[in-house]
Amino acid sequence: MTPKKSRILVIQNLVIQFTLRGRVLTAIRDISLDLYKGESLAIVGESGSGKSVLMKSIMGLLDKNGSIKQGRIIYNAQDLGQFTTEQEWLGIRGKEIAMVTQDPMTSLNPLKTIGKQIEECVVMHQGLKGKEAYEETLKLLTDVGITDVKKRYKQYPHEFSGGMRQRIVIAIAIACKPAILICDEPTTALDVTIQAQILQLLKNLQQKYGLSIVYITHDLGVVAKVADRIAVMYAGDVIEVGETHEIFFNSKHPYTWALISSLPQLGSKGEQLYSIKGTPPNLFQEINGDAFAPRNQYALKIDFIERPPFFQISDTHYARTWLLDPLAPKVDPPAALQAFFAEGRSYAND
Amino acid sequence: MLQYIGKRLLQSVLTLFIIITIVFSLLRLMPEEGYLGAAADKMSPAQQEIYLTNLGLRDPLLVQLGHFYNNLLQGDLGKSVTYRTDVPVVTIIGDKISYSLLFGLGAVALSLIIGVPLGIMMAYRKGRWLDRLGTGYIVFVVAVPAAVYYLVIQMYITDLFQLPMLFDEYRPITWILPLTSMALAPTASYAMWMRRYMVDELNKDYIKLARAKGVKERTLMFKHVLRNAFIPMAQYLPATILFTITGSIYIESLYSIPGMGGLLVDAIQRQDNTIVQGLVLVFSSLGIIGLILGDIAMALVDPRIKLGKGGGVR
Repeated sequence: MTPKKSRILVIQNLVIQFTLRGRVLTAIRDISLDLYKGESLAIVGESGSGKSVLMKSIMGLLDKNGSIKQGRIIYNAQDLGQFTTEQEWLGIRGKEIAMVTQDPMTSLNPLKTIGKQIEECVVMHQGLKGKEAYEETLKLLTDVGITDVKKRYKQYPHEFSGGMRQRIVIAIAIACKPAILICDEPTTALDVTIQAQILQLLKNLQQKYGLSIVYITHDLGVVAKVADRIAVMYAGDVIEVGETHEIFFNSKHPYTWALISSLPQLGSKGEQLYSIKGTPPNLFQEINGDAFAPRNQYALKIDFIERPPFFQISDTHYARTWLLDPLAPKVDPPAALQAFFAEGRSYAND
Repeated sequence: MLQYIGKRLLQSVLTLFIIITIVFSLLRLMPEEGYLGAAADKMSPAQQEIYLTNLGLRDPLLVQLGHFYNNLLQGDLGKSVTYRTDVPVVTIIGDKISYSLLFGLGAVALSLIIGVPLGIMMAYRKGRWLDRLGTGYIVFVVAVPAAVYYLVIQMYITDLFQLPMLFDEYRPITWILPLTSMALAPTASYAMWMRRYMVDELNKDYIKLARAKGVKERTLMFKHVLRNAFIPMAQYLPATILFTITGSIYIESLYSIPGMGGLLVDAIQRQDNTIVQGLVLVFSSLGIIGLILGDIAMALVDPRIKLGKGGGVR
């Protein structure tokens, strides 16, 4: 193992609740998660699992009816969870932690030239002015792989293709040399070839600027290409976290198994694709035990009563499932998955 | 840009031409007493016939149309037979239009100065008391017929503030009530639109990105949202402004303002064909100018509209 890397962002026992018409929804249930300097962490999970809420809370962009009830988000010896004023957040947002949003087609202001939109950020956070800001903007455009920058600077978003616009969004995000970059479904709206280019661009920028990147996605294909570590979320909780190969080829939580089994690549031709039965739990209600238990064919009695703790599998790999308890019966992952695991491990050993 | 404006102007002239032709033809289908006026009773049928022939009404329709356009190009809209028969229609309308223009522009200015900032503040403080108050006002003005609140003004406000009711050119204090009454409705519309378009823009993705990159809420509101919300406003503003200028029949008669609003109704009732023609020309020109100005204004603020090519299609 590599020596322990330094942690840049620490989330401790975070609980986030929303109030909707008098009812309380718990979107994040007691999450603890670390982000290491220079790594790529992927947060995967289905819609509504709380991935986006988690990231919004880091940037102070939660909707007005949502708030942090408990826990801490520590960045740079400050607890972001305690921030209340806009002034406090402005020191972090965009400057230290930046974000690449989901849909590049709608993420840019249609009435401002892309140059001005990037420059706004440069002026705001780097304190550059006039010609300096202009030069910096051109440099950023070049950085994200845009050619003919002087002409492009003066153009409006509608004169760019989707992939190009995503590059602009990335340029805006890195304009202030942030320490952490949050990519919220960065490639969902793009076609596959452009996806690969954008992911490669992010990787290059990560090396160049030493960024720590958090990918929020439900696309395991993307995860496999870029992530160093994966955190799997279900119903507002991180249920398994580990290095990419550990999650893909040695996962322990039945939900992670189900998630990987639903990859189309794992199905065989002519058979129905695997899908997880049932629906995610109602977050308005208090959840006892393991949130996945009602949909889990391997669920034990205790899964319905007590929330499993994190069981350690390796230095980097943890999972929240009672199946790892010494007293639990031995359960093997589904056969198709076992084959996939074996294949993956054999590649890893090569 | 110039090419675009030129093209739009050309289209407008064509539209105007068609409107005038239609109005002209419709009026020719009306009873001919409209050209005789009060003198009709004193003339024998033979005299009437001679009178109408002299006016050119026995010529073929196309010839009449030709004459009409010829006169129009020289700024001659003919003379009225029922209303100040010695003065050209152009002068009559000209006299009236200045009053309507004064009150129309005044009311528009007033409602823009109050309505637009109100809408902006309502969007900025969405859901708070100012927003609720403003919404209440808008709902009231839209839902209650204008006649009702005009009457309320007439009955109570005049007493309350000791304001004179009837318009007198030479006493500026008499201008207050007509101006405020006229501004009530447009203020509500401008506030409503402004708020609506601002809220629309606020929900868009680029606002989320702007927030994420650390733009202050105030800066966001005034630098990003406001301009974008102005695009739909810019398109409709000129037309509504001109609509207000054409004068409100109700308000002009309520405060006895000698404006254009009442003239059309009057002229139609008296079957005064020349005045009707002239007014339709003025109204439709104003409407068309409003539309062109709206298109140009929108083209100026929205870079997505390619000028010259494609005729201003987004």
